[in-house]
Amino acid sequence: MQSTATLAMSEPNATAVLLVVFGLLLAFSVLFTRTLDRLGVPVVLLFLVLGMLGGSEGIGGLVFDNYELAFRLGTVALVLILFDGGLNTSLASIKRSAGPSGLLATVGVAGTAGVMALIARGLGLSWSEALLIGAIVSSTDAAAVFAVLRGGSLRVKEKVRSTLEVESCVNDPMAVILTVAVVEFVRLSNAGGTASGSGGHVWQLLLDVPVQLLMGTLVGLAVGWVARWLLARTQFSTGGLYPVVTLASAFVAFGAATLVFGSGFLAVFVVGVVLGSGPLPYRTGLTRVHDAIAWMSQVSMFLMLGLLVFPSRLIPVAWVGLTLGLGLALLARPLVVALCLLPFRWKAREIGYVSWVGIRGAVPIILATFPVMAHLPDGERIFHIVFFVVVISALVPGASIVPLTRRLGLDEPETPTPAAALEMHSLRPMGGEIHSYHIQQTVAACHAPISQIRFPDGAAAILVVRGDRVMAARGSTVLAPGDHVYVFCRPGDEPQIGLLFGRPTGT
Amino acid sequence: MRMLQLVSESAIVPRLKASQRDEVIIELVDALVSSGAAPAKLRDELVKSVLERERRGSTGFGRGVAVPHVKHKSVKTMAAAIGLSERGVDFNSLDKQPVFSVFLLLSPEDRPEEHLQAMEVIFKNLSKDTFRRFLRQAASVEEVKTLLEEADNQLLAG
Repeated sequence: MQSTATLAMSEPNATAVLLVVFGLLLAFSVLFTRTLDRLGVPVVLLFLVLGMLGGSEGIGGLVFDNYELAFRLGTVALVLILFDGGLNTSLASIKRSAGPSGLLATVGVAGTAGVMALIARGLGLSWSEALLIGAIVSSTDAAAVFAVLRGGSLRVKEKVRSTLEVESCVNDPMAVILTVAVVEFVRLSNAGGTASGSGGHVWQLLLDVPVQLLMGTLVGLAVGWVARWLLARTQFSTGGLYPVVTLASAFVAFGAATLVFGSGFLAVFVVGVVLGSGPLPYRTGLTRVHDAIAWMSQVSMFLMLGLLVFPSRLIPVAWVGLTLGLGLALLARPLVVALCLLPFRWKAREIGYVSWVGIRGAVPIILATFPVMAHLPDGERIFHIVFFVVVISALVPGASIVPLTRRLGLDEPETPTPAAALEMHSLRPMGGEIHSYHIQQTVAACHAPISQIRFPDGAAAILVVRGDRVMAARGSTVLAPGDHVYVFCRPGDEPQIGLLFGRPTGT
Repeated sequence: MRMLQLVSESAIVPRLKASQRDEVIIELVDALVSSGAAPAKLRDELVKSVLERERRGSTGFGRGVAVPHVKHKSVKTMAAAIGLSERGVDFNSLDKQPVFSVFLLLSPEDRPEEHLQAMEVIFKNLSKDTFRRFLRQAASVEEVKTLLEEADNQLLAG
């Protein structure tokens, strides 16, 4: 243990310095995201590295080795990220990917944990260490997967994308359950527990998984419906209060589900889906706020986890960590994914892609604080090994994702974002919406003056964005390829407009 | 604009052989080629353009019908093909239901107004429950032609 050189300052200066350093770290993190996005490296890695630089062994000098606080803050951040993920995941894509992602999130997680434990044991770690590491790194990470599949310039085909996303959101409970069970098991056996006691434990574990999943889903649905009802019934004096209500629902869902032996993470995701797929007042504003909160959580959480790492303690575990990281990416994940997806008769390249994009992230690092908090011997060593595995598993596949997606033909044609966007903000659902259409050479409306386009009675084109110019949608305006056209219409009019303009942007 | 002018007799396929979207489109483009509406050497290019348009959003706008379409510079006059499928085709429609009646529209590139007019006529008729029902029930080229004529003369209700 190193003696920490604390900042010998009194308040308010201590807080002031803390905020300056943390603020600068946040700002730097965001500034670098563009560069990294181009390289294809998951941006979350950058936050981790910056966190390490800001830490006590780096240039920032921030001392942070409170694993319990890290666990708490990390959990809150994950709740916020998963909620945003749920808000942006449509019911339809969950239904489509329920089979494969459900299997990956349960059997797949257990399988990965098993294979990883075997690899770790093969590397000479003790059984307890091997089992712990296996359980901890067994789930993919929603934050990292979303960042890679949605954050950058890439748009991955719906089938693989929704499977990966839904998997990453619902597989955390399984990893949490496994980790808690193994920590308990190791603690008992260290305390001289008998084999019969651990045998009973395995049965309890098998029962625990369905209970966690069921209770998590039920609490999520209940809280989601109540929140939806509340939002529809109540009118708040200002738009700023709506995100407060949705945030509250996320927190309540996590807490209530955990208290009744359900999976809190799953409950939060379900609440997000329930709210996101129903009528939501002030939708644009709400989703924007949650998007910002999720990014903020993401940046802060990885910075914090970076702060928690002591680079000097990474060096002794470098070889083991590197081998395990590669073993996960090249052996454990592909093997398990191939077996899990076998019944669904996917194409080989799709299976390969899902195997490769099994990015680990914050969840394993947060789970790795469990052994430390349980005062297991080598808890900190395991924490640092896990950290290494996460970095390798994010770096190796992460850096290759953009070229790989294109190579396998799994990317979708990308719709460039218009230079200006037009949105309708309403506190209540209104009888009409604004959709934007990106005009392609192949659609019927292309090259036609707007006056020639017969819109349904309640609909009209209102704005055209061409390059850096915005133009009023006049009758004489001729639509050109590349234009973004904003059309106001009523819900029933979409089929007719879609026939002439193509699919609305963002659907 | 009358539908009977758009759809030539040899481009009506009352029983589509294909059961997949892409093959249905190929079958209908072939029907247009054999009716003389498009030169044979354009076939592959037209199929590719129609599919490209489908990727930008399905033209299956719901209730069992789809209107795939394409504009091309080497096409001189507008023409449409009609294909009927008994089993239904997955067109990735807005309502996720199978498609039983397909109108494939082919237009010259330089007259987008005409293309839009034809789309409107087809859409208007396909929006009528009676037209859709009779079209799906039609078993021969003659029956389809009679139906188009009745629709052109506005004899159909709904």
